[in-house]
Amino acid sequence: MSAADAGGDAIRFDRAVLDNGLTVIGEFNPYASTVAAGYFVRTGARDETADVAGVSHFLEHMLFKGTDRRSAADINRSFDELGAQYNAFTSEERTVYYGALLPDRLPRLLDLLSDMMRPALRADDFDLEKNVILEEIAMYEDRPHFRVFEVAGKEFWNGHPLGNSVLGGEASIRALARDQMLAYFERRYAPSNLTLVVAGAYDWPAVTAQVAELTSSWEPFEAAREFPAPTPLHGEGRTEDAKLERVHAAVFAPGVAAADERRYAAAVLANVLGDDSGSRLFWRLVDRGLADSASLGHEASDGAGAYVGYVSAAPERAAEVIDIYRGVVENAQDEPLDPAEWRRAQRKLATGLTLRAESPLGRLVSLGAAYQTLGRYQSVQDVVEAVMNSSVEQGRALLAERPFDGLYVHTLGPRGARS
Amino acid sequence: MASNPSSERIYQHRLANGLWLLFEPMPWLPTLSTTLMLPFGSATDPEGREGSATVLHDWLQRGAGALDSRAHSDALEGLGVRRGGGAGREMATVSASFLAAELAEVLPLVASMAAEPRLDDDEFAPARELAQQELQSLADNPTQRLFNELMTRFLDGGQGRSPFGSEAGLAALTTTSVREDAQRRLGPNGAILALAGGADWDTVREGVERAFGGWTGETVTLPGPVVRTPGRGHVRADSAQTQIGLALVAPAPSDPDVYAYDLALHVLSGSMGARLFTEVREKRGLVYSVGASYRALHGFGYTLGYAGTTPERADETLRVVLAELGKLSQGVEADELERARTGILSSVVMQGESSSARASRLASDALLQGRARTLDEIRGEVEKVDLKRINDYLAEHPFPEPTVVTLGPKPLADEVAA
Repeated sequence: MSAADAGGDAIRFDRAVLDNGLTVIGEFNPYASTVAAGYFVRTGARDETADVAGVSHFLEHMLFKGTDRRSAADINRSFDELGAQYNAFTSEERTVYYGALLPDRLPRLLDLLSDMMRPALRADDFDLEKNVILEEIAMYEDRPHFRVFEVAGKEFWNGHPLGNSVLGGEASIRALARDQMLAYFERRYAPSNLTLVVAGAYDWPAVTAQVAELTSSWEPFEAAREFPAPTPLHGEGRTEDAKLERVHAAVFAPGVAAADERRYAAAVLANVLGDDSGSRLFWRLVDRGLADSASLGHEASDGAGAYVGYVSAAPERAAEVIDIYRGVVENAQDEPLDPAEWRRAQRKLATGLTLRAESPLGRLVSLGAAYQTLGRYQSVQDVVEAVMNSSVEQGRALLAERPFDGLYVHTLGPRGARS
Repeated sequence: MASNPSSERIYQHRLANGLWLLFEPMPWLPTLSTTLMLPFGSATDPEGREGSATVLHDWLQRGAGALDSRAHSDALEGLGVRRGGGAGREMATVSASFLAAELAEVLPLVASMAAEPRLDDDEFAPARELAQQELQSLADNPTQRLFNELMTRFLDGGQGRSPFGSEAGLAALTTTSVREDAQRRLGPNGAILALAGGADWDTVREGVERAFGGWTGETVTLPGPVVRTPGRGHVRADSAQTQIGLALVAPAPSDPDVYAYDLALHVLSGSMGARLFTEVREKRGLVYSVGASYRALHGFGYTLGYAGTTPERADETLRVVLAELGKLSQGVEADELERARTGILSSVVMQGESSSARASRLASDALLQGRARTLDEIRGEVEKVDLKRINDYLAEHPFPEPTVVTLGPKPLADEVAA
């Protein structure tokens, strides 16, 4: 029984497109005590050229550094005065700025977030924040679990922009000039390339009227994204780093795109093979104590997708562990899928989707990302039903295309560790 | 606008075997979360067998009652249960979230892990092997390694022992020793079971009585934490950043001053507008990550601080962090207090929207404070702290000297390598 059934009040979807091209969507929840709102910008590492690698993420930081009306300190203080839980993130696909708070403070949050979307990009702020970005790059340098995906993704995508690094590199960040960032901003932050997403408790007419006024000076223009055909690499790659104790391997295989109806079956299939508990990889590797982590998921991106996995093992055992990992996913293509394991994976995914939707902040990202990628609304119930209706036959059809013959495995570990 | 029909009521019941049950209804949710806290952790690991709690916790997941490891796991996952947990310093946790309609079937599966674990011989070696690998993996995770080292230098006695165990401790474990360990401290007395979500009290209570009522077993007494004399230490690691960790004594969770302290800590590090973030990152660009947060053990509170920075900026970073800790004794401004209060009150409301956050908080309150608090009570206490009270508190209780451990390619200027 859903919350809506229990109370007679329904979850409601709202949508408006403003004159400047900005889309505003909302999912009203009559039982929410809070509201979450965020700008979803359809720009990320995949929209960057090599000379500005990392600019989307650096720009995300700069949006917190001030506007014509506010300094960086003003922005942070305003979020605090609102009692907002807030942050931002950048991925290959999108940049998202969001906050969650009590419903009566939503107008002030919308004012703040909308102002941030037109940043001052002051030169001294740019120079100071560059240090912070370099520290962030150094922090991830110490995280092999993260680093192996940076290298492996670039190799697997083989020139396709989905292999671009979100952080960029130390060299590209040091060389980046403020004017290059400004040019990128002016090309990518078109009103039509942004979606304002609101979830929880709100007053829709008030939201649209306020946002129309706040963004009335935004000039419309076009911001396109390129969709080159992926030509993913398969095979193996290896990076040595003498200071590591363990071997970390990232695994990629071709998957399906976010708008592909098979994405639900791909998610269930990946869960059958590589969920962090109860999956085939779990039983073969983690349960037996051969690897402390072995997983596989499916990432459906805009225009292309991939199965993405990870395994970590002791150096002396890495070759054996990676062979077993490979065997589990490759052999799945020749073995029947068991309807019972399919059903378990469906149910676990459905529970996870329902749990995340308990709070407006938990709901915001999936609501916004799905709308931005698909161009239409999906309720939690829609997604749960799509997962539960995906059939074991669809899973077999995905396997019949033999995605795991195209496996790419990259290992990062100490010198001499065989892979 | 419809409002959240939060009941603001916590139901409690102690079973005859000593298990403490807590439940908060969230009737608008289709989901239900449970947190089971079992009274064993690294603090009460047997001497010379450090890591026993972690291996026992893993072994418990490998079959219970009539079901072997695979069948037990399949049964839970067939019900769509999302699982979590692990062994900590004082308690081991088993958590589960699922659709509320499955409660009657999930409870016996969770209960059997505690009440009738199989502890089969052939499941022991992989459980220990996993613990050994996780210990080895610490080396590739500098931040986790830092905190592990920091806690060892901050606390003496049992609580200073790492849940990761030690190489020698893990090697010394046998099927017999861990079974004896289970006999010694896997009992219901001192265990806590908290639930929150879309169910009603009668159903929960009856289901829990049925599933957990037959659980018997011994428990051990938890020693109190012993704080070492604050000091400095450096751990050599070939890392890109120097990791800086601080640990200092704070009010116990049941101390009435804990609310004033929590507000002060928010002024220091509750958000991106707080003092640490402003001084260390925003004004000086020294770090990506810096912060301080309150932690608790049974009857004991402490604060952990963290900053990560490239080695040449580590001295300045630590200096700025310590200066901000010291400055707190001079008090906070009225507007800082109000922003901190607003942040805490807002997060209290958000906690009330999540079944897993509530179940976990009910269990930890019961463990740490000896009683559960409604969100209304927390709200009331946070609202009561005025500027005079917080500044009197800070003047009388300046933040004590921290234990500081750094991990990186070279010691700070005023450190010698340990």
